[in-house]
Amino acid sequence: MGAAEMPPPLELGAARILVPTAIRRGDVIDVRALVEHPMATGLFRDPEGKPIPAHFINDVSVMYGDQEAAHFVWTSGVSRDPFVEFSLRADREAALTFTWKDNKGGVFQQSVDIRFI
Amino acid sequence: MSGLSRRSFLHASGLAFLALAARRLAALVRPGPEDDVPWKVQQVLKQLFGDRQIQAGHVQLDVPTVAADGRVVPVMIESDLPMSADHYVKAVHLLVDNNPDIHLAEFRLTPQIGQAFVSTRIKMRMTSPVRAIVETSDGALWSAAADVRVTVNGCG
Repeated sequence: MGAAEMPPPLELGAARILVPTAIRRGDVIDVRALVEHPMATGLFRDPEGKPIPAHFINDVSVMYGDQEAAHFVWTSGVSRDPFVEFSLRADREAALTFTWKDNKGGVFQQSVDIRFI
Repeated sequence: MSGLSRRSFLHASGLAFLALAARRLAALVRPGPEDDVPWKVQQVLKQLFGDRQIQAGHVQLDVPTVAADGRVVPVMIESDLPMSADHYVKAVHLLVDNNPDIHLAEFRLTPQIGQAFVSTRIKMRMTSPVRAIVETSDGALWSAAADVRVTVNGCG
């Protein structure tokens, strides 16, 4: 299904992290992150009928400074260009670093600085 | 038959009827996928949590009742359980009964997260119950479930 519908071009591993612009110490902030990735299940075929091999992010680590704040274990059931949103208690100025790893050994990283106003 | 026993009989039958009606009503209000867990899902739950009891409550699961596109179904899971240093939600599990991978995702959290809340977008192969199970640092398991009707297969 949907073979005729071409998705927009993908820049594998390109990532965006969004945090509020004005953060005060102790705020529980909203963090949103998206990484460009096909999240191929291995169950689809391309328009020529060849199976598309499984290619998906299965491990996400969120470091806040030198401590891990969250860790996600995913399957190919998460949508293409996987998006995640969660909260974070911003109690220190430090880098927030995401590391996405896929089942083919791909590693993608992106960070933002948590700074107080 | 004395009037008293007749009255008490009426009383008792009235109460029984009320109890029955209440149960009917509860079933109407909560056609809960919680109550009816398919065997394949029970196996996954057993693998994840052993014989630990999963209780309904403390979890709010936000999913659309109808998903037009099974490739992108928004899911939001929230819990009112605390996120303090010694009592916190250590994991949020997302399960979809009728997907190839039933245990779709696991979000491991720490007190640093501040509030037990996770939102993402998932694929759904077909109409299915979606389950959110929250695991606390002291090992308690809380859950919520909702049915999502899917019109376009998102898995292949």
